Amino acid sequence: MAIEIPKNLDELPTTRPRYVGRGIRRVEDVGLLTGRVEFVDDVVLPRMLHCAILRSPFPHARITGVDTQAAEALEGVAAVVTGEDARRWSLPAQSSPEGWGTHCIAGDKVHYVGEPVAAVAASSRRVAEDALELIEVDYEPLEPVADPFKAMKPESPQVLDAQETNVMLDRVFTWGDVDGAFAEAAHVFQEKFRWNRLGANPTETFGCISEWDPMSLDLTIHGSIQSPGMFGLGRAATFSLPSNKVNIISHAHGGSFGGKGGTRGCDISCLLSRKVDGRPVKWIEDRGEYLLSGGGQAWDRHYEVALAVDAQGIVSGLKVGLVDDLGATGEAYGAISAAKPLAAFTGPYTIPVAQYDLKLVATNKLPCGPYRGMGPPPHFFVLEQMMDIAARSLGEDPAEFRRKNFIPADQFPYTIASGNEYDSGNYGEVLDQVLALSDYSALRAAQVEARAEGRLVGVGVANAIEPGVFDWNAYAIVGMPGTGVPEGATVNIDILGNATVRVGFSLEGQGQYTLVCQLVADYFGYEPENVRVVQLDTQSAPPSFGPGGSRLGVAITGAVLGACERIREKMARVVAVLMQSEPENIEFMDGKFTLKGAPGAEMTVAEVAGTMLARSDLLPPDIDPRPEATHVWTAAGRTPADEEGRAKSYLTAAHAVHIVQVEIDPETGMVEIQRYCLADDCGTRLNPDTVEGQTEGSVVQGIGAALLEEYVYDEDAQPLTTSFMDYLMPTVFDAPKLEMVAVETPSPFTPLGAKGCGEGAIHTTPAAVMCAINDALAPLGTSAREVPAAPMRLWKLIKEARERASDENNNY
Amino acid sequence: MASEQPQQGGIRLKVRVNGEQHESVVDPRMNLADYLREELRLTATHVGCEHGVCGICNVLVDGQTVRSCLMLAVQVDGKEVLTVEGLAEGGKLHPIQEAFIEEHGLQCGFCTGGFMMAICELFDRNPSPSEEEIKEVVGGQICRCTGYNAILRSVQNAAAKMGASRS
Amino acid sequence: MKSAPFEYVAPSTISGVLEILGQNDPDEVKLMAGGQSLMPLLNMRLSRPALVLDLGRVADLDFIRETDQGVVIGAMTTKRAVEDSELILREHPLFWESTVAIGHPPIRNRGTVGGSMAQADPASEYPAVALVLEAELVAVSARGERTIPADDFFVTYLTTCLEPDEVLTEIRIPRLAPRTGWAFQEVARRHGDFAIVGATATLGLEAGVAVEPRIAVFGAGDRALRFPSAESLLAGQPATDEVIDEVAAQVAAAVEDPLDDAHASADYRRHLAGVLVGRVLREAAVRAAEASTGA
Ligand SMILES: Cc1cc2nc3c(=O)[nH]c(=O)nc-3n(C[C@H](O)[C@H](O)[C@H](O)COP(=O)(O)OP(=O)(O)OC[C@H]3O[C@@H](n4cnc5c(N)ncnc54)[C@H](O)[C@@H]3O)c2cc1C
Ligand code: FES
Ligand code: FES
Repeated sequence: MAIEIPKNLDELPTTRPRYVGRGIRRVEDVGLLTGRVEFVDDVVLPRMLHCAILRSPFPHARITGVDTQAAEALEGVAAVVTGEDARRWSLPAQSSPEGWGTHCIAGDKVHYVGEPVAAVAASSRRVAEDALELIEVDYEPLEPVADPFKAMKPESPQVLDAQETNVMLDRVFTWGDVDGAFAEAAHVFQEKFRWNRLGANPTETFGCISEWDPMSLDLTIHGSIQSPGMFGLGRAATFSLPSNKVNIISHAHGGSFGGKGGTRGCDISCLLSRKVDGRPVKWIEDRGEYLLSGGGQAWDRHYEVALAVDAQGIVSGLKVGLVDDLGATGEAYGAISAAKPLAAFTGPYTIPVAQYDLKLVATNKLPCGPYRGMGPPPHFFVLEQMMDIAARSLGEDPAEFRRKNFIPADQFPYTIASGNEYDSGNYGEVLDQVLALSDYSALRAAQVEARAEGRLVGVGVANAIEPGVFDWNAYAIVGMPGTGVPEGATVNIDILGNATVRVGFSLEGQGQYTLVCQLVADYFGYEPENVRVVQLDTQSAPPSFGPGGSRLGVAITGAVLGACERIREKMARVVAVLMQSEPENIEFMDGKFTLKGAPGAEMTVAEVAGTMLARSDLLPPDIDPRPEATHVWTAAGRTPADEEGRAKSYLTAAHAVHIVQVEIDPETGMVEIQRYCLADDCGTRLNPDTVEGQTEGSVVQGIGAALLEEYVYDEDAQPLTTSFMDYLMPTVFDAPKLEMVAVETPSPFTPLGAKGCGEGAIHTTPAAVMCAINDALAPLGTSAREVPAAPMRLWKLIKEARERASDENNNY
Repeated sequence: MASEQPQQGGIRLKVRVNGEQHESVVDPRMNLADYLREELRLTATHVGCEHGVCGICNVLVDGQTVRSCLMLAVQVDGKEVLTVEGLAEGGKLHPIQEAFIEEHGLQCGFCTGGFMMAICELFDRNPSPSEEEIKEVVGGQICRCTGYNAILRSVQNAAAKMGASRS
Repeated sequence: MKSAPFEYVAPSTISGVLEILGQNDPDEVKLMAGGQSLMPLLNMRLSRPALVLDLGRVADLDFIRETDQGVVIGAMTTKRAVEDSELILREHPLFWESTVAIGHPPIRNRGTVGGSMAQADPASEYPAVALVLEAELVAVSARGERTIPADDFFVTYLTTCLEPDEVLTEIRIPRLAPRTGWAFQEVARRHGDFAIVGATATLGLEAGVAVEPRIAVFGAGDRALRFPSAESLLAGQPATDEVIDEVAAQVAAAVEDPLDDAHASADYRRHLAGVLVGRVLREAAVRAAEASTGA
């Protein structure tokens, strides 16, 4: 029988939910605050060795020799591995697009600064690093290429020997009669934009302990791993092992934001472990390694965008040209970030036709990986700048110009030009809420006054769609196979009625264990204390992807409620037997089973569980006596992508409008955020505290993107931002006081109507801050087209604009 | 013991950590964070950058917040160290810990120890700090998850709690 | 990110320090003060001494004293101690103000005054302040003691005039002339970061005319820079916006080979030097004016 999962809070078997829909004390917190939660670097295994990795100082060079003798002779060193070991025991990394992976240790050539060339396992990390200094590598430097436009030219240095070009993908996707729309447009706006590389930088870097037994070939990896199941499959492929030989034990980790990375270093620690007969080898990526060669660099993009607008001011077409510099290889799946915008290409607008001219290019930089939002944040940055350019040129208020282009609330579900279907929304309401919250007209009035004083004050209004509950089909255009991402949970009730929920993902910060407790508590009429969440390794856990793609909150809700439903159904059959009735006559509410029409005939969940476990002799023979069930939830109705990449992919579409007020110091180019207001709608809020926390964190990451964060490479592809002194993440001084208001338009497609919201505000914040900056700059007749809007860049724009103005004055 | 003559190999060190006396022989190059984590197995002191910028490794040495990645273990000889493990007492959370729970001041929790230690020192100097004073003290800390709003709320809540318990 | 091996010593007297410097090749020895610059370099293996000589246990290097001429600060005095010093706040509010602009409280708990002077980071606050306050730095070695004017002390990027066997022991800051106005400002990407560029100035006003102005800039060139010609341009002039703008422009023009890095181009630094000098001169003039009317 199909399991019905409650579609809204009213369908839960409780008179009134006591926990779902409100913030509660997080079950994660005590362990985290006292240091009792075990992060991977806290783990010490018997006979464990420590790994350090030697990395290339050259962006592009032939390796003509590696001498490891002196390192091997150092006291405390157990093994050294080089590219030779990697070729013997592993395959090149899988990649997207396919064929753009390399071995985890360089063989004859290095492709970027920081690429591993050898590694040591030793008695301590200190000794391992001592040994690295004794390894001699002979390099023959080759000409590097750091600029994707150069890299696309036939005469460019070739990054990967195995390929004949640096162009990983070059395709134009066209959805509808785009040329027609532009031909008929009353106005066409065109602009170029640059989004510089930035990245996740979770406070904990990647770390792992690998044990690869060369006799049994069993591979066990402890690690700070975001998606243990996928990670295990990847290792199995790299080492040609049967997937059931690889077991991943993921530890609580200090954030990820998609940028945990770590696969290369992990593979290297596996090779070392194999070389030392399966002794555990720990590799803790240090911050220097993370910044130079870790999992956290994303979105190195050059855009050329055009917007067609009709005579009524309705946007009738969008063309986005993107040259995406993915770095040396496709191993870190940076390409996915270029594909994901298809899930929300035209944002919250009714733009009927669109085109995506996509070029993925290899250069001698670190391979790009994912980062919170996975690609749409830069896309919305450019789309929202174009909306402002159009509004300004047509003399319309940016808020009202957006409003008239919104998808109307009564048109959902709504299929956008690039193929995805949005589940629900009420964009006008979200806009109204934030206009009221910010007192928008007062902001504008204050701006008029400030401008009269010659101050550069700007107000940005920007909005975006956050695609939620990802599916692989969204990335079909860059070669990701298949459809469907399962998440499972096992709910078990013990003999005293307490519940244990087994899941396949570890703590990462978003509070999903708390959510699980809330769900089970409301379902069975429990207190959250009666529910315990435990995490299993990949060989024992139910199928699980874990956090990612704004998915887990919705998916784990489906899995847990599905398992609860299964238990309820089983228990109803047991109760029916005990009450000598039929299951149809058994009702379940507030934790009690009752018999219809028989007042007083009731059993609690604990009583039923106790009876099942103690008295299986009383149960019908076809009932498994364990009060336990597993449910695996997958988004329904996802479709395979067509030739042009169109698919029903991401299940939910959350929406937010941000209003930001900034002031720019014209002499220094420094930006001050004076107010930050937002309204957002991510459907039913299962735990509003968690949603707010995700939003606050994501806004500040977005501010980092807009103003501070950038991985800088020089023209020879040498990285210049290799410490936290240079890669600038926001601190408390960069975080404005946030004013927030919520709108709840439930999703018709998800458990309890919740939408994906984990990636959240970073979709909107960079766009909103840049809109505000450009609004401030507007009187000078200039605008910022590059992210981050570093003070040096803004100062230069202002200076040039003023010089132009004074030249013009002089000419008159 | 602090040495008048150069020493390689191990240096003997006596230190009180969270009220408990320890005696160890350490490699002079071992920093305090590594000493706490590796030798004493006090792993609540996390390490985020090892170059002084993230503040995650903060501990108190003789009541002052220091970056434990920027101090040698041998330098705490004869001193008193307080780490996150020393905050909760007698099975009861410290008011700062309570406040972080109540205000949702942590997400992944990896950075939180560094914040709490800096705040301990702040409260010692100033039991009812203004928002600007709080910002100044935690201004050198990185939290990638929370966006800081909730951390400020947590500190204010903790100040109120501790003020209430004093009066 | 783990330091290379080294030997370690922590003498309790300055003579012990000098003895050890005498027994070893001073190029192989690294003095450690608060470690807030040295430890990152050790962790990254960018500094690899054979011996770390910790000054942390040397008696009598940690003090703040008032003398007839002004204030003397021991090299091992932490920035936190300066920040907490009523004496500094009263006698040298400029020094105090620049102290709280350095890093963050936990850094200031360990980092020392002498360490910042000896580190001579071009973007560091203290060297510039030492220049405008015309401080003197005292160093000892086995060869004896010498007193070095701040003007001679800072040589270039991360380099002072100290010999490898010399130890900085104290910083002497002369008392400012009565009613001197002062100011200190910097532009940093984030609060507490090393500045992109900063400026500081002191200035007296007599009947609206600038007296003995001093101007220094940090973060712009290879070291903290003082601008005697701009100072003489201002001296004797009324501190009007026009004059100050002219002086600021002269400073901007006078910065040789401005630093150029990922955060700030040479042009931008030169420009900021001018902007900030303009701002500190205006602010110092206001303070000087207040001081003379108040008096
Ligand atoms: C996160 C962070 C932010 C920072 N922000 C700033 C900032 O904004 N502005 C700023 O100026 N600094 C900043 N610093 C640096 C900090 O102020 C250091 O404390 C200072 O540069 C050096 O002082 P120290 O006592 O720590 O010296 P150490 O690091 O111990 O020594 C520095 C150098 O000076 C030498 N030395 C030290 N003492 C003596 C002596 N008595 N005689 C001879 N040589 C000596 C040492 O051998 C070494 O080469 C920051 C540091 C960090 C980690
Ligand atoms: S780990 Fe010590 S400050 Fe970052
Ligand atoms: S809670 Fe994750 S870094 Fe602060």
